[in-house]
Amino acid sequence: MYRLETTKRFFLRLSRHHSQAALQNEYSDTPEYPEILDNSLQGRKIRVREALFEKIKQLETVEEKQIALNMPRFYGWKCVMLRDDKIPFNAMPLVQCYTRSHFIPVENLPDAYCDTVKPAEEICKEVKSFIEDAISIEMEGVARNLNLSNDKPINTQKENEIARNLVRQINRIIANNGAEKFPHILSMQVDHDPRHEAFWFVGGVDIPTGVRKWRKQQSWYKDRMNENFDRPVQYIGSPFVALRSHLPLKPLISYNEAENPDFKVEKFSYTPQNVGYFSSFRHGTNIPGFWPGDYDEFGFLSYHGRGHILSRKDSFGQDDNLEALHCQAIKASFGWLLAQANYQGFTTYNDITYPLVTQTVITNGQLWSFYAYQLNTLVMHNENIDDNPKHNVCFGTKPLKLYETIENGKVKGLNEDVLKMLIQFYLNQPEEREHDLKPYLGKENQIVADIEDDNKRCWLESRYKHLVSNRPKHFLLPETYLWERIYKIQHNTRFHEAKRRPFELGIYPFKRRLNEHLPPYIPKALRPYPKSKKKFETTYYPDV
Amino acid sequence: MSTRWYPLYQRGNPQLRVFLPNFWMKLVRPTPKQLPNIVNFECSMEMTKYDIKNYLEKIYNVPVVDVRTKIAMGKFRKDIGKGYVVKEDDKKIAFVTLPKNMSFEFPNIFEKVEDQDDENMKSLDDAKKSFKSYIDRNKNRSDVPSWFSI
Repeated sequence: MYRLETTKRFFLRLSRHHSQAALQNEYSDTPEYPEILDNSLQGRKIRVREALFEKIKQLETVEEKQIALNMPRFYGWKCVMLRDDKIPFNAMPLVQCYTRSHFIPVENLPDAYCDTVKPAEEICKEVKSFIEDAISIEMEGVARNLNLSNDKPINTQKENEIARNLVRQINRIIANNGAEKFPHILSMQVDHDPRHEAFWFVGGVDIPTGVRKWRKQQSWYKDRMNENFDRPVQYIGSPFVALRSHLPLKPLISYNEAENPDFKVEKFSYTPQNVGYFSSFRHGTNIPGFWPGDYDEFGFLSYHGRGHILSRKDSFGQDDNLEALHCQAIKASFGWLLAQANYQGFTTYNDITYPLVTQTVITNGQLWSFYAYQLNTLVMHNENIDDNPKHNVCFGTKPLKLYETIENGKVKGLNEDVLKMLIQFYLNQPEEREHDLKPYLGKENQIVADIEDDNKRCWLESRYKHLVSNRPKHFLLPETYLWERIYKIQHNTRFHEAKRRPFELGIYPFKRRLNEHLPPYIPKALRPYPKSKKKFETTYYPDV
Repeated sequence: MSTRWYPLYQRGNPQLRVFLPNFWMKLVRPTPKQLPNIVNFECSMEMTKYDIKNYLEKIYNVPVVDVRTKIAMGKFRKDIGKGYVVKEDDKKIAFVTLPKNMSFEFPNIFEKVEDQDDENMKSLDDAKKSFKSYIDRNKNRSDVPSWFSI
């Protein structure tokens, strides 16, 4: 149903014009009608959502945008947890759909790396002997005293530990040798075991059984039983080493290619529990390994471990293990780029306006797989999952052997092609972009640290850091006890008691908004002289 | 089926061989919209994931890739006639993942019964119609017995 939306405000505006005797403005040659709005329930809902997206876009600083994403939930979103080292059987369709990534298996690096072949060969000759030494020492020459934890299998931890040390050595060797000829390597920032987290919404996922049951009881849900809603998704990962640069990498393919229908990813609408991904309550966090305001804010290269492959079941098979590596690379690349994009002022609701690129290496020391990832889009919430024509692209190789064996402390059969590929990643030079990198951030205040008002700056800073720390709440979480569920909700056996619990008052505690709490109390002695009735401190939550 | 409690095997003990353990698995209808290569079972509470895998592989030759289990709480209901709340037993539910290329569709067990039901409903409808026509016919002579007719 479409009809003209005539709001009170519209009439008011008209009458005011009239009173100002601007009569000639009232009539025009062609009639000017207000925009026809879709006033169906769906249409109104979409308008409310779009208003929210616009409000988040208008916020000036990165931190405020991040708080705004978390505003609707005091206790955090129930996020589908994608971890970089936990990949269930047959996860590829889900991972591809949730990250909107088209995967292209390749033998060599994509065409964008053609220029770097020759310099890579030169550097390869220089560093070869150093790298052989590093491998033999790290693999056999070190007696390690590992701090093993109980939450992961021992062989996984051992493999990751060896690979972590070797990767640091190899990174050091290549960077030291390449820095002379390639100044962009010299200025690179190196993170060891950084914190990579990303948060986004995915739409078009089937509703869970509980929601289906609930909707069956509501008469107004009769026509929209299977209506989907957004699923919050949280990626958490930690590479061994991550390199960052001040400038972004060149796109692998042109930005127009992003709409290529060949890159279309099949929709995966089954609930993530079907595959083996589960949810937990937490605030959504976007952290690319540094805090907002860092100088080097674009990802360059990240090294990840593959120890988790050892803890997968034998019954999954080799093919699925290979897919698991691809999944890990897609998740890690997308997660890191999404977090970086968030620091540029884009969010899961406001799409990026230019492509971002990162390079990912997955290794255990001997086997190396190389991935190049281009982020073209990051909106995939409910309204956009079907309509968004853009897709992300990931190029990836199979695991390649860097060397055959180590005999008597000597590396046998070092594969120079693999080493060259790795060096080519280092030689991929970041470039200045001609467009505005931060179109959705404020002109003066781009991060909270830019804000002049001391109170506001300090409050936002501490609130943001506390939010993304995801510490447990000080008070116990609200809970419906089992006895209440049995004797009050399912069977009304205690009808004579006063109704005081949230579920008896029609309150759903987990729908509480982030700002629905009492701000800190100002004791009378600390209130401004002579008289102040202001009992509570000011809060600066973004208005969304 | 054995209901004896067998002692846990410890190294060095004589090994008791269990020929008829209390193991059973019941194929159940999946929740709506489930991946086609996942099959749901209810099984006896004592079965572990390994038991489930072996049960399906060794007895029924079903290739099993992965098993996930959960224990679903039994329903609470009011005892009929007594009025107090009683709880049904908990169930162990197993989600068995088959290889990617396999798919399982829950069979329609009551196909024949449905056909029969349809026939029964048809005859019931016919009876209803004829009764309605009889009532309509005798609308204006409510006191006349049914046999008093041509």
